[in-house]
Amino acid sequence: EGAMSNGVYVPPGAANGEVKPVVSSTPLVDFLMQLEDYTPTIPDAVTGYYLNRAGFEASDPRIIRLISLAAQKFISDIANDALQHCKMKGTASGSSRNKSKDKKYTLTMEDLTPALAEYGINVKKPHYFT
Amino acid sequence: RSGSKHTTTPADNYYLARRRTLQVVVSSLLTEAGFESAEKAAVETLTEMLQSYISEIGRSAKSYCEHTARTQPTLSDIVVTLVEMGFNVETLPAYAKRSQRMVITAPPVTNQPVTPKALTAGQNKPHPSHIPGHFPEFPDPHTYIKTPTYREPVSDYQVLREKAASQRRDVERALTRFMAKTGETQSLFKDDVSTFPLIAARPFTVPYLTALLPSELEMQQMEETDSSEQDDQTDTENLPLHMSTDDSGPEKENASVLQQNTSLSGSRNGEENMIDNPYLRPVKKPKIRRKK
Repeated sequence: EGAMSNGVYVPPGAANGEVKPVVSSTPLVDFLMQLEDYTPTIPDAVTGYYLNRAGFEASDPRIIRLISLAAQKFISDIANDALQHCKMKGTASGSSRNKSKDKKYTLTMEDLTPALAEYGINVKKPHYFT
Repeated sequence: RSGSKHTTTPADNYYLARRRTLQVVVSSLLTEAGFESAEKAAVETLTEMLQSYISEIGRSAKSYCEHTARTQPTLSDIVVTLVEMGFNVETLPAYAKRSQRMVITAPPVTNQPVTPKALTAGQNKPHPSHIPGHFPEFPDPHTYIKTPTYREPVSDYQVLREKAASQRRDVERALTRFMAKTGETQSLFKDDVSTFPLIAARPFTVPYLTALLPSELEMQQMEETDSSEQDDQTDTENLPLHMSTDDSGPEKENASVLQQNTSLSGSRNGEENMIDNPYLRPVKKPKIRRKK
């Protein structure tokens, strides 16, 4: 209420300078033009298939590429976090002095679970199957 | 998704192929991140997350688009969707430029679900104009077309004559038995009453009266022909003639009846006088007064 001025709502944190409001209009408009050349890893047909199942009919193929790129980034962010976890576990014992941590990293559920927990996704897999 | 069944429909294959592509994509992303290998459960988890992430973006973007009374989603809808899902949109261009060095794998799937050609029979009906082209085709015509077949009726003359004769006999027999059951009967044999019942004859006080008087049908016919040939005056002339036949002697009645009979077209008057059974009388046609 007090933060209302000029009819524009400014969050309380903005006055202190903690939160920077994003005032830009979609910066991706320019990015979308560049996207015509770049092909994401996920094929357009596959992304389009899952979008159609959700009811999303894309008029512009660049929109599909944008979505597939966003999904890719989502997964690779998680993968990077899991890699950090894996590296922390490996070098926590201080063996990096003798030999550098072997370059072979294996993604296990023990690394993936805390990485997902930061995103608010809780996975519980049974340790063994009877 | 089929559980433990080994046979999958073409639609299932279609779905599974895309799922496999997603797995390949996840594997390539993990390789790009620096992993050499991964647990199967971890790859499955990430694949499931990727699929549901794409579906959720699609659903949410569509909802935002429809929220503003539009049907075609635009870039703004997707940006809002990504922001709502906690995705930092500003980092997206940087990511795109960074990963351009990644090898692009996962060729798209080309198979489409197709019904086997061997099972189709006949020409499928084409779409009427009010049905869009991307809808599935009509099924085979034998599934909904019904062609009734008729047995040709028997037209053999002998068979038909036999049938007509036996039908007539059965009808006569049934009717006479009905009359016997409902009316008075006289038995042919002294002891046995029920075997051959005969319709009891009703004795008249004056037995020859019915033989002498014309039947009702005769009188109708006489009236019809008289009215068609002559005027109304001659009708009234004939009427007293009919009335007078009751009073005159039997010979005169016979003669007058015979005269009237010969003046008419030939008809079976002799038999009509004998038949009293209402079911065996000929059909009485309604009076037709022809206009002059």
